[in-house]
Amino acid sequence: MRSSISSFKERLRLPRLFFRKPSREEQIHGGPPLEFERPIPPAPWRGIAVVVIIIVIAATTAWELYCRSLGYGPTLNDNEDLWTLWRRRVAPESIVIIGDSRAWFDVDLDEFQKGLGKRPIQLAMAGSTVLPALADLADDKNFHGTIICSVVPYLFFATPGTPPMERAEKGIKRFHNQTPAQRVSEYLSMPLEEHVAFLKPDDLSLEAFLNQLPIPNRPGALVPPRFPPYFQTEDRERRARMWEKCAEPGSELAKKIQQIWIPLFTPPPPPSYVPKDVFFAQLNEGIQKRFADVTAAIEKIRSRGGKIVFVRFPNTGGLKDLEDRITPREKTWDPLLKMTGAPGIYYSDFPELSGFICPEWSHLSAGDSVEFSKRLVPHLRAALKM
Amino acid sequence: MLFNSLTFVVFFAIVVTLYWSLHGWELRKNLLVVASYIFYGAWNPPFAALLFSTTCMDFWLGRQMAKAQGPHRKRRWLVASVCMNLSMLGFFKYGNFLLQNFQWSLARIGIVYQPPHLDILLPVGISFYTFHSLSYTLDIYRGVLQPTRSLRDFVLAVSFFPQLVAGPIVRAGDFLPQLRHPPRLKAGQFFWGLALMTLGLFEKIVLADTLLSGSADRVFDYAGPLVALDSWAGVLAFAGQIFFDFAGYSICAIGAALTLGFHLKDNFRFPYAAIGFSDFWRRWHISLSTFLRDYLYIPLGGNQVRPFRAALNLVIVMFLGGLWHGAAWTFVVWGLLHGSYLVIERVFRVLFEAKRWASTLPVRVLAGFATYAAVCVAWVFFRASDFTIASRMLGGMFGQHPHGDAIFTTRELLQIGSVTLALIAMHWAMRDDTFETAIMRLPHWAITVIGAAMACAVIFTQGNSNAFIYFQF
Repeated sequence: MRSSISSFKERLRLPRLFFRKPSREEQIHGGPPLEFERPIPPAPWRGIAVVVIIIVIAATTAWELYCRSLGYGPTLNDNEDLWTLWRRRVAPESIVIIGDSRAWFDVDLDEFQKGLGKRPIQLAMAGSTVLPALADLADDKNFHGTIICSVVPYLFFATPGTPPMERAEKGIKRFHNQTPAQRVSEYLSMPLEEHVAFLKPDDLSLEAFLNQLPIPNRPGALVPPRFPPYFQTEDRERRARMWEKCAEPGSELAKKIQQIWIPLFTPPPPPSYVPKDVFFAQLNEGIQKRFADVTAAIEKIRSRGGKIVFVRFPNTGGLKDLEDRITPREKTWDPLLKMTGAPGIYYSDFPELSGFICPEWSHLSAGDSVEFSKRLVPHLRAALKM
Repeated sequence: MLFNSLTFVVFFAIVVTLYWSLHGWELRKNLLVVASYIFYGAWNPPFAALLFSTTCMDFWLGRQMAKAQGPHRKRRWLVASVCMNLSMLGFFKYGNFLLQNFQWSLARIGIVYQPPHLDILLPVGISFYTFHSLSYTLDIYRGVLQPTRSLRDFVLAVSFFPQLVAGPIVRAGDFLPQLRHPPRLKAGQFFWGLALMTLGLFEKIVLADTLLSGSADRVFDYAGPLVALDSWAGVLAFAGQIFFDFAGYSICAIGAALTLGFHLKDNFRFPYAAIGFSDFWRRWHISLSTFLRDYLYIPLGGNQVRPFRAALNLVIVMFLGGLWHGAAWTFVVWGLLHGSYLVIERVFRVLFEAKRWASTLPVRVLAGFATYAAVCVAWVFFRASDFTIASRMLGGMFGQHPHGDAIFTTRELLQIGSVTLALIAMHWAMRDDTFETAIMRLPHWAITVIGAAMACAVIFTQGNSNAFIYFQF
């Protein structure tokens, strides 16, 4: 009598493996467990290892000294793990700073603590758009604290798929999906970064050097914009301070960064594969959607008793002219306050907030950021009815 | 835990130090089990429980199979093991894919069905450890492996941390015998293991992540049409990236295992110097191709059947190989393309193998480059997240967008070109060699300089701890 499995096999034509003994060939292929040993190339490996270690230590030390001689100092790198570390510390009634690099550079946490009675949590992220962080706080049902939100319209209205949006989303994604290993890595890397100057992936890595090679480009190539070099330090609380070398009057570094901001803040031409009218219609649609999404997020926060205030931090020089031209106040800031019904502080509306000079046109020096924060606090208290 | 992370450096240093400080072999094995589960749990601790439970099930099924009297009973236990493993893989990896395709099929006949989206998190490395585990019961059934009495040994064979999440797929039959006696390190084995780990990290951090991945991402993420040069450059960048990424991981795994006294087989053997596609699969992801050959292709009849059936067998195996990589039709097409390549190669062999000109050097080199080009074309489907991107890329590669965009800078083109040329030249130079024999031919000072240069490059490159591509599988 045929077994049920045999007929099953016939019907389904299952692999023969399940129904017969392996052939001799299979036994050879599949392997009766072979005693396999990898060959070890004969060489004085211990001696080689010692020499390699000596060379690596010498080269690393030389590289560190060279980087320090260029002015680089040890500081933390701002990354999504450090951001996550602070996002985790947001308590239901926290004061949270979100937005772009201007809130990151220009806010002094000590002054805010003195003036607002609570130490804020710094969640602003350089070169990022604010919506992902705002929406994340809105979706956090426990959160009913206060949000201080920086607005740089060019970043605020950045469309999905652009670097400012991707940067912000990366942080949120890491916060929700951070693995224990990534968490441990952050704790391990912090003391290293605080003592080693060359650990600056944006500036002193192989990729950064390759990007600086003076090779002329072929015509028509879409060259990605350059980002400013290292010009800030960051501490464990994510407080950024402008590097003194950049804040010095007539600083070459500041001038170099000024010339980087201009192309970075200039809208790129529409892509060749999308008709211009379609592109601008999509852009406009995206801006309206951003207003709607921000309003919806704020409504959620307010419904739980939370508060928000928008802040326009100082900018100066050619960058101010450019921003005023491409993102005029009446098309960005004013409708934002109107649609959201949130209070806003525009630095140029107040003489005591207006006189600051940004050395590289976009951020305040470390010293000025303390003074600016001190002067900003009363306005924040008034706007938040504290 | 990623090999290219600070956490792993600290973890590995602690494990190796403790391992060689302990005197008892049983104690050392216990340490490796704990370390392997910490390594795995560092991604998502609950999934370590899943790994442990499937391992225990296979251990038990293996014992039942060995005890079972008669082939029918053995078969039942085997079917149970295969079903358990594949259903686990199916649920976690293919659940949403199957639902989406079910929805699509119903829509074809006019039935509107909105399936719930299952919020399934894919356990990292599930495809690899499922195969590690499955090889155990398959080999017991085939009578080529005796079941182990020690659950701890089997747990270690499945979860041994160097090969746990991205291979090589180490069969239980290759690993369990190494657990019988404490390993004795051969002269230089420990440092050779460290050298291999440095090479693996160099491939991953410097070559794959720094020199190639950005360019590959730019091309495959670009929403517009590209000119042929940029399309090909992007695909070549991905071809290099995936090799350095995966081979780098495999070499790290082999090196890490060596420092602990274990021997894992090669997973790559200079694949871009392959002449023909069967040669390619003897050189690329060897542990997967031999797994599919031994447990699927030969049982299907292999090439000992009529030509049409043999061709069909190849296509079936590569179809499943493609699906193993990911739950998407693009992977299936990638597998089917390779299946078709293998079939075409068979036809060519029948027609031309006996001709004298077929084995001349120019023809062999030409065949090698044709193989590389065809493999690159197939990579388009592997890398593209959907068919729109794949067809746009292929259109660009084959000159359909002469007025498309040129997105690469000259520096990027030079970078991709020089890395690709170096990669291919290296593979051709070493195609009939092993890595070890190539090292043996080098003077000691050259080994020292190369080792130091790679270690310095890894440190100065400051990789950003990108995950290995094969983790997602």
